Amino acid sequence: MGVEKSADQALGGNYLLTRVDQVLNMARANSLWPLTFGTSCCAIEMMMATGAPRHDIARFGAEVARPSPRQADLLIIAGTIVKRMAPRLRTLYEQMAEPRYVIATGACTISGGPFIYNSYTTLRGVEDVLPVDVFVPGCPPRPEGLFYGLLTLQRMIKSGETLRQPGVRRKPVMSALPPGISMDDIRSEMESLLEADSEVDVEARRRQLGWPSSTNT
Amino acid sequence: MTAPIRTLDDRIRPSDTPDSPLDTQEYFINMGPQHPATHGVLRLMLKLDGETIREVIPVLGYIHRGIEKMGEAMTYRQFVHLTDRIDYLSALVNNWVVARGVEVATGTETNDRIEYIRTIFAEIERIQSHMLWWGVLGMDLGAFTPFLYGFRDRETLTDIFEETIGCRLTMNYIQPGGVMHDLHPNFVKRTKAALAYSKSKLHEYEELLSGNVILQERTRDVGILSAEDAVALGVTGPPLRASGVAYDLRKVEPYGVYDRVDFRTAVGSVGDCWDRYWVRVEEMRQSIHIVEQLIDNIPEGKTMLMKPAKKIVIPEGVYYNQMETARGILGMVLVSDGTSDKPYRIHLRSPNFNNLWALDAMSRGGRLGDLVANVSSLDLVVPDIDR
Ligand code: SF4
Repeated sequence: MGVEKSADQALGGNYLLTRVDQVLNMARANSLWPLTFGTSCCAIEMMMATGAPRHDIARFGAEVARPSPRQADLLIIAGTIVKRMAPRLRTLYEQMAEPRYVIATGACTISGGPFIYNSYTTLRGVEDVLPVDVFVPGCPPRPEGLFYGLLTLQRMIKSGETLRQPGVRRKPVMSALPPGISMDDIRSEMESLLEADSEVDVEARRRQLGWPSSTNT
Repeated sequence: MTAPIRTLDDRIRPSDTPDSPLDTQEYFINMGPQHPATHGVLRLMLKLDGETIREVIPVLGYIHRGIEKMGEAMTYRQFVHLTDRIDYLSALVNNWVVARGVEVATGTETNDRIEYIRTIFAEIERIQSHMLWWGVLGMDLGAFTPFLYGFRDRETLTDIFEETIGCRLTMNYIQPGGVMHDLHPNFVKRTKAALAYSKSKLHEYEELLSGNVILQERTRDVGILSAEDAVALGVTGPPLRASGVAYDLRKVEPYGVYDRVDFRTAVGSVGDCWDRYWVRVEEMRQSIHIVEQLIDNIPEGKTMLMKPAKKIVIPEGVYYNQMETARGILGMVLVSDGTSDKPYRIHLRSPNFNNLWALDAMSRGGRLGDLVANVSSLDLVVPDIDR
């Protein structure tokens, strides 16, 4: 805040700050250092995208993958997150230096993906544990899909956070959605499905399976 | 070897006979769940004395998704897609295990075309899986170039999958009663080209990494797993063969068209990391050889024998069926109650789960630095351990 005040009083205050913001954001957007983190299938496609020579993420300035969260500022969540992993993921996120960005790839991180029904462990979407900037749909998303997500994030960074309001970002976006469908549509449909799923008529199920009654009448 | 039953409580107690002459103290460190060398979210608790490993205690559950339980609420056809996500580098063999289990249980005979297609794809997938392992092993041991090479060559095989199957990783292609759809017209041409390419590249791999002094030093006589230990622990796949046991399901209980092709089983002698390395590299060569024999004479025929809309009901009973994935034996126990089109219970005997426990046997008494080589030479896929 001190920077802001003194800069505001300086000659050309507002204008100067805006320029500084722009420069900072441009630098941030083009030097993202991803954390090597992957839990399952999506991680292979992420490795194909970030490490492999054909796709070569270095073109977008994000090839310096770091194994330590302290040196990384982009968390690519590749793969299913289960309840046991969720606190660790949150810890990883908190260990990263600000400003930090999160790309969540794969259906699993959006809604639980193939594990949305009947799984007693998976998280239905990683938004429950940490704020996500860009979702990349797919199961697994192609490397091109991840790149589109990365470019989306870079655009967001360039137009996003400012010195005046550090930490303020836009709502998470889906990097490729069919026209006419929003993230809220998906979420509300998912909720209604899960709600319908969660209502179990124990008595009817018991009769169907022919199990003895649990109450001694 | 008899394994005493030990609780976690026993395991974390300091051992009473420290065999170091110095007055040292045992301590624990955690490796994982987020660690670049564990290839996923595997957590290893290490009991160390200085730099010597006293014990490796794997802690599981960080990617347990409940796939077996989910299978009980799905029809057999639907369950196939979940098996892609267990061991995603052998997705086709996983599909095949379910498909074959259902076919055997219902008494469905498949035709030659289906079996040829399945075998060819399974072998191509084995090659790509080993290529990925080769690259990652290089990276784990500190050489980045193999990673680039392995991934570059893997792409040519992924293209083959993509053309016919439409997917790069999660295939869902082999279904009960056949395969999803017929081969792409380009398939034979492209596969031949890719095989020729891979063959020349295998040569390059040997020159780049196999003879490398650092690799030799870090793998030879490191992490020795004796044949008895391997058998007692239920280790399968390349680690078992590297220990000198020539047990390959493709030879012992042939399925698909493996009984009609000529190939040899690569067997190691010492059971160290180098043998495991060598067995896998040799397996790539043998797989190329298998596909070369099959690719030219794929017979004509239908590719799907069960109507997709048909309800598959399996007669009451317990069925077991196993196959050789790139990592070992994947078995599936199927329990059916005979009335519904869903399984009553599904259990998977996954290769990585059993191979993981060999880690303790091979690392004990070794150095901390060698642990990475040991983990890497087992080629673990963590979601397959936890399921
Ligand atoms: S989205 Fe699909 S590919 Fe990605 S982790 Fe989930 S199941 Fe695997």
